[in-house]
Amino acid sequence: MENKAYIRGQKELREEVHDTGLCTGCGACVNLCPYYATSRDKTVVKDLCDRTAGRCYAFCPRTPTDLEAIRQQLFEPQDLTPELGAVKGFYLTRASDPDTRSLAQHGGTVTTLMSLALSEGIIDTALLAEGGGSDLPSGVAVSQASEVSKLAKSKFIAAPMVEAFNKAVLSDAQKIGVVATPCQTLALAKMKMKPFPKNDSQIGKLRLTIGLFCGWVLSWRSFKQLLDQKIDQRKIVSLDIPPSKYKTMQVETNSGLVEIPLDEVEACVREACKFCTDVTAEFSDISVGSARLPDGWEVAKGWNQVIVRTTAGEALMQLAKDRRVLEFREVPGGNLDKLKQASLKKKRTALDNLACKSGDRDDLLYLDCRDPVFQTFDW
Amino acid sequence: MADISNKTEGLADLLLGSEAIGRGALEGGVNVVASYPGNPSTEITEAIRQVAEKMNIYVEWSVNEKVAVETAAAASFAGLRGLSAMKQNGLNVALDFVSGISTSGSNGGLVLVVCDDPSGITSTSEQDSRPLARSLDFPLLEPGTFQEAKDMTRFGLELSEKIGRMVLFRSATRLQHARGRTLLGSLPEEKRKAHFDTSKQYVAFPSLPRHVEAKERMAQAKELCKDSAFNVYEGPENPDLLIITCGSCYLYALDAMNLLGLWDRVGILKIGTVWPLPDDLIKTHMAKNSRILVLEEVEPFLEGNLKELAVEWAADVSMPTFFGRRTGPLSDTGELNPDIIITALTEILELTYEARPPAYDQQAKAMVEKLVPPRSLALCAGCPHRASYWAIKNAEVLDTRDGFVTGDIGCYSFGLFPSGYSIMKTEQAMGSGPGVGYGFGKLGQFDMQQPVVAVVGDGTFYHGALPALVSAVNNQSNLTLVVLDNGATAMTGFQPHPGTGLDAFGHPAKPVLIEDICKSLGVRVEIIDPYDSEAATQKVLDFMNDEQQGPRVLIMRQQCALQMARSGKLYDVWVDQEKCVGEDCGCNRYCSRAFKCPGIMWDAQAQKARIDEAICVGCGVCAQVCRHEAILLKPLKAVQGKDS
Amino acid sequence: MTKHALQKDPLNAIITGVGGQGNVLMAQLFGRALTDKGFAVTVGDTYGAAQRGGPVSSHLRISKQTLYSPLTPSGQADIIISLEPVEALRVLGGWGNPGVVVISNTRPSYPFDVTSGGADYPALADITAAAEELAQKTLFIDASEIALEMGAPVLTNTIMSGLAVGLDLFPITADDFIAVLKNQFDDKKFNLNHSAFQKGLDLAASNKWSD
Repeated sequence: MENKAYIRGQKELREEVHDTGLCTGCGACVNLCPYYATSRDKTVVKDLCDRTAGRCYAFCPRTPTDLEAIRQQLFEPQDLTPELGAVKGFYLTRASDPDTRSLAQHGGTVTTLMSLALSEGIIDTALLAEGGGSDLPSGVAVSQASEVSKLAKSKFIAAPMVEAFNKAVLSDAQKIGVVATPCQTLALAKMKMKPFPKNDSQIGKLRLTIGLFCGWVLSWRSFKQLLDQKIDQRKIVSLDIPPSKYKTMQVETNSGLVEIPLDEVEACVREACKFCTDVTAEFSDISVGSARLPDGWEVAKGWNQVIVRTTAGEALMQLAKDRRVLEFREVPGGNLDKLKQASLKKKRTALDNLACKSGDRDDLLYLDCRDPVFQTFDW
Repeated sequence: MADISNKTEGLADLLLGSEAIGRGALEGGVNVVASYPGNPSTEITEAIRQVAEKMNIYVEWSVNEKVAVETAAAASFAGLRGLSAMKQNGLNVALDFVSGISTSGSNGGLVLVVCDDPSGITSTSEQDSRPLARSLDFPLLEPGTFQEAKDMTRFGLELSEKIGRMVLFRSATRLQHARGRTLLGSLPEEKRKAHFDTSKQYVAFPSLPRHVEAKERMAQAKELCKDSAFNVYEGPENPDLLIITCGSCYLYALDAMNLLGLWDRVGILKIGTVWPLPDDLIKTHMAKNSRILVLEEVEPFLEGNLKELAVEWAADVSMPTFFGRRTGPLSDTGELNPDIIITALTEILELTYEARPPAYDQQAKAMVEKLVPPRSLALCAGCPHRASYWAIKNAEVLDTRDGFVTGDIGCYSFGLFPSGYSIMKTEQAMGSGPGVGYGFGKLGQFDMQQPVVAVVGDGTFYHGALPALVSAVNNQSNLTLVVLDNGATAMTGFQPHPGTGLDAFGHPAKPVLIEDICKSLGVRVEIIDPYDSEAATQKVLDFMNDEQQGPRVLIMRQQCALQMARSGKLYDVWVDQEKCVGEDCGCNRYCSRAFKCPGIMWDAQAQKARIDEAICVGCGVCAQVCRHEAILLKPLKAVQGKDS
Repeated sequence: MTKHALQKDPLNAIITGVGGQGNVLMAQLFGRALTDKGFAVTVGDTYGAAQRGGPVSSHLRISKQTLYSPLTPSGQADIIISLEPVEALRVLGGWGNPGVVVISNTRPSYPFDVTSGGADYPALADITAAAEELAQKTLFIDASEIALEMGAPVLTNTIMSGLAVGLDLFPITADDFIAVLKNQFDDKKFNLNHSAFQKGLDLAASNKWSD
C-alpha cells in the first residue's frame, strides 16, 4: 500500500487542520518551536513559518497518517483487533486505596498506575491534566507519586498534553509518563515513528502512555457559555456524565447536584471530535475508561475498564497486581463486545463525517480509506 | 539646513524649496509662524525656526494645524504678518477655521502654505488642495521654481495684506525636497508692533454679505495679479502646441522640451497665480493655439477651468483641442515626471524618442529584476513600536477572538506592513485609531466579539485623539487604547509636542502629560516599557479583557530608537553561534523572519543569525524573542529610557 | 576643454544610497560647491517616508545656464555615485546608458526584505560584473572600511566625495569642495571630514577604472 503519510509545513497544517475544524488542540505542534501556542482551548499560530516540512505537520494527529504502519510498529500483530486495536488483556479494576478512589472520578486506576510507575522508577515524570470543569485545563509535570491523586478528576475539556510533553522533554526529565486522550496518544505514537530523523531524539524519553477512553471533549468557550447560563461556576465541585441512558450531565456543586440535559452539552462538543475514530485510545500502553456493570451505575462508577496493549503496559499491570495496589474483579461476559460495538459506532460516525466533509468516500482527509481496519465494517 | 538669514542681497544661494519659502517669509517680514509638522512641509518652519530667535520671529509647533492657522491668524488680526505651513492632510484639520477666515477676512499679511504630496509618497492621500481656493475664495499661488517659491511667499504676504484676505500658497513634494539656485532679496528693517484695532471685527457671520465682500476682494486680487511676472510664456509666436502648466510640472516640461528639441514648435505658458486665473493672458494665448496640453498635479483643476473659459469665449476664440489629465493622454492619478511628459508629447506630436538603445534598456531592466532586491521601508532596528506591536500581536493571537488594531498616522503606521506584522487594519487620519476604535467599542449590542486595540502615537494623541477619548469616557465605549509613546514627533524629525516639556527652540515648556490627562478623565491608565516583551504582552491581554465598562489607556513608553542610537546602546547584543538553530525545524530564523528586526542579519554561509553592529541600538528585545537562548546580552548602562 | 569645465550640459549625476548614509548631505555639498562656481544646479532628493532603511537618491542637474528639473529623465545619468552596492544597480537600471560612469561603495546595507527572509542579496562579484557590463566604466571601493578605520562610519560619504572629485567627475577642484566642507562643519568635524576627503582623493590616485 502506498504510504499516504507525507510531511508538509505550517501552511498546510493551517489549511488542512487548523482552518478546517480538525484541530484537536492536543498541542503536538506547540513547544517544538516559537511559532505556535495553546491559548484558551485553541492551538494558535503566533507567527507564519515558511518551512515546507516541519515536525508540527509530522506529529499532528490530524495530518495524513498511516495508522496500519503504526499498529505494525508499536504492537504485536497477534494482539490487534479491528475494533479496539491491540488487546493483550481486558480488566475491571479499581484502586485498592479508598482515599485514592474517593478523590478519583471513577475507580482511581489511572492515579494508581501513574503513582506506581513513579514510585517504582519506571518513570521520573508524570504528565497529568490540571484544572478542568469549565476552567482551562493544562498539562502539568509531577515527579512525586503523592501528587498524582490531586489531579485525578475527569476533564471534559482536553488539556494539551502533547504540548506538555514537548515542554517536558526539554527539561531534566528522562523517563516520562503521559495520561492522554486518544488523539493525543496518536500524536505521541506518530512521534515514536520518528518521521523527522534530524529532530526526534527526544521521543525516547516517553516510557508510558496511559490513554483515556474518550467519546468527545467539549469546546471550552461554548461550554463556559452554557454553564454561565445555568450555574455560578465558582460553586462547581465536579462534573460527570453517567451512562447514556441517563441523557444528562451531573454537576456537583457546594449547593447540591445540578443536571444539564445531555443534548445541550453535546452541542458544545469540539468540532474535531466528530472526525475521531478512536474511543479507547488505541495507541497507548494501557487504556482506561469508566466501567459498565450489571449492578448499575452507582456501583459501576466505582470501577474502571482497562485494556492492556503493550508489553510495557502488561508489565505495569502485573506490578500493580503484585503490589496489590489495584483490585480486580471478573469482567462480565459481553463487556468487551459492548465496548467493541461502541468503538465501531464511533469509527463509523467519524468516517461518515470525514467522507461527508471531503465530499468523497475515497477521501478521508487525514485517514486512508484503504486502511485494513476500515475494510472490516460497513460505513 | 541652510541658514536662510543671509543679508547679502543678490547672492546666489542653493536653497531647498522649503528653505526658499522660509526665506521668502523673512523677506516678506513675517512675525509669527505656527505650524504642525508633516512631510513635505516640515522644513519650511524648521528653516525659519533656526533663525527666528535672532530675527525676533515667534515660531511654534502647534498642537495641530487648526490651532496653527488660528495662531498665525491672531498675528494677522493684530496687524502682524503670519504664516502657517502644513501638508495637505493638515489643511483638512484646519479647514473649519480656514473656511471661517475666508468669510471673516484678515488684516496683516497672512499666508497658509499647503504642501501637497502627489502620488501620496508620504501621505494617506494625494489630495489636491487647489480646488479649495475656488470654493472658499482665496487667492492661490503655485511656484514653479525655487526662485518663485521665495518670491511668491513674499508676494503672498503683501497681496494678503492689500486685499485683507488670507492667501493660499501651494507647494508640492518635488519642489519642497529639491534644491535650486535662488537669488536672495533684501530683508526688511521694519519692526511691527502687535495691536488689535478694536474698531474692526473679523467675524464670519452674517456670512452672505461677507461672502459678497470676499468676491470683491478676489476681483481685486485678480487685478493685482494681472501682469504678474509669475505668469510667463516661453516659445514661438505661433506654436503647434501650447503647454499650460503650473507648479513643479513646469521644470519637468522644460526637461521634456530640451530632450525632444521642441522649442521651435511648442510653447509653455506657466501660470503662477493659479487662482484667480489671469484671464486676459490666457485668452491671448488660447486664441493663438488650436491644441493645448495642460500639465498639473494632480486633479484637472487648471484643465477644467481653462475649458470653462474656452466655453465662455466661444464667440471670439475658436475652441482648442485640450489634452491633460481629464482628457488624456495623462493619467488622472499619480505624480507627473519628465518621462511621463515626454511620452505624452511624443504621442500628441507623433514623435519617436528613445531614452537609450532598446537592447541596453532590456538588459538593464533584466539585470534589476535578477539582482536587485526590493528595499521596503521598515521600522528602524530597535524601534520601540516594533516591540509594542510584537506584544500587541502576541496578545491578540493568544486572546483567540480575532482581534485587530485600528491606527493612524506616524512611524507606527508601519503596523500596516510586514515590518509591523500587518496588524493595523484601519488607518485614515491623525487620531482615527482611537476614533475608529471608539466606534468599534460601541458595537457590543450587535454582537461584536472581537477585541479592538486602538493605537496612537504620543504626538498624535494631543493632535487628534482627545475628542475620541472624551467620547469614549462619556459614552462608555469598550476601548483599549495603546499610546505608543516614544517621546517625540519622530517621523517628521523630532519636533516637540505638549508632552515633551520643550518648545520649538528646545527651551523648557510646561509639559502636559498623557497619563495626567487620562487620570483626569477617570480612565484606567498604566505605563509599561514595550522592551519588556512578555510583561507587555500580558498587560495588553489584561487590558483587552478588562470587563469594566469604558475605555482604558495603556501607555507603552520607550524612547525612539533614533534617539537611542545617539544616546548609546542599552546592551551589547550577540548571537551564540553554537546555540543558534538557524533555519532548522524548531526555529527557522524566528528572530529575523518572524520578529523582523533589521538589526538581525542572516549569515548564509554559517547558516546562523548575526547582529548587525552598525544599526543595532541594543534594545535587547530579540534576546527575549529567541527560544534557544542564542541571543545574548551584556548590559552597558543602567537601563535608561524608562524616563517616567 | 579644461579639466574642470563642464563636460556636458546638463551634466546629470545621481548620488544614491540608503536612508541614514548621508548621500543627501553629500549631494547638497556638491550642489553648493557647484553653485559657488556659478553653475545653475538643481538637487532633487527622492525618498519615501522620512525614515531609515529606504533607498534615497539625489539627482544633481548641472548646467551653465538653465535650471533643470529635480528628476532626471530615464536613461539620462552621466554619473552614478552610490554609497551602497545594490543601490548603484537600482539606479543603473533606470537611469543608466552606455556612457554612464559608476563609482560605488562595496559595503552592503541589507534591505528589510533580505533580513526578514523575503529576498536574496546578490554576491558582490555579481554586482560589480553587472555594473561593468552596463556602464562605460566603474570603480567599486570599500569606503566604509576606511571610514571604520577612521573611527566613524558616517565619513563614508565624504570619502566617496573625495573619490569623485579626485576622478574629476565634476567641474570643481578639491579646494572648491574643501571650502564648502569648511563652511558646513565646525572645526572638529571639518578636520575629520577633511582627512576623509583627502583619503578619497588618494583612492582616486591609486585605483583604476574597470571598463
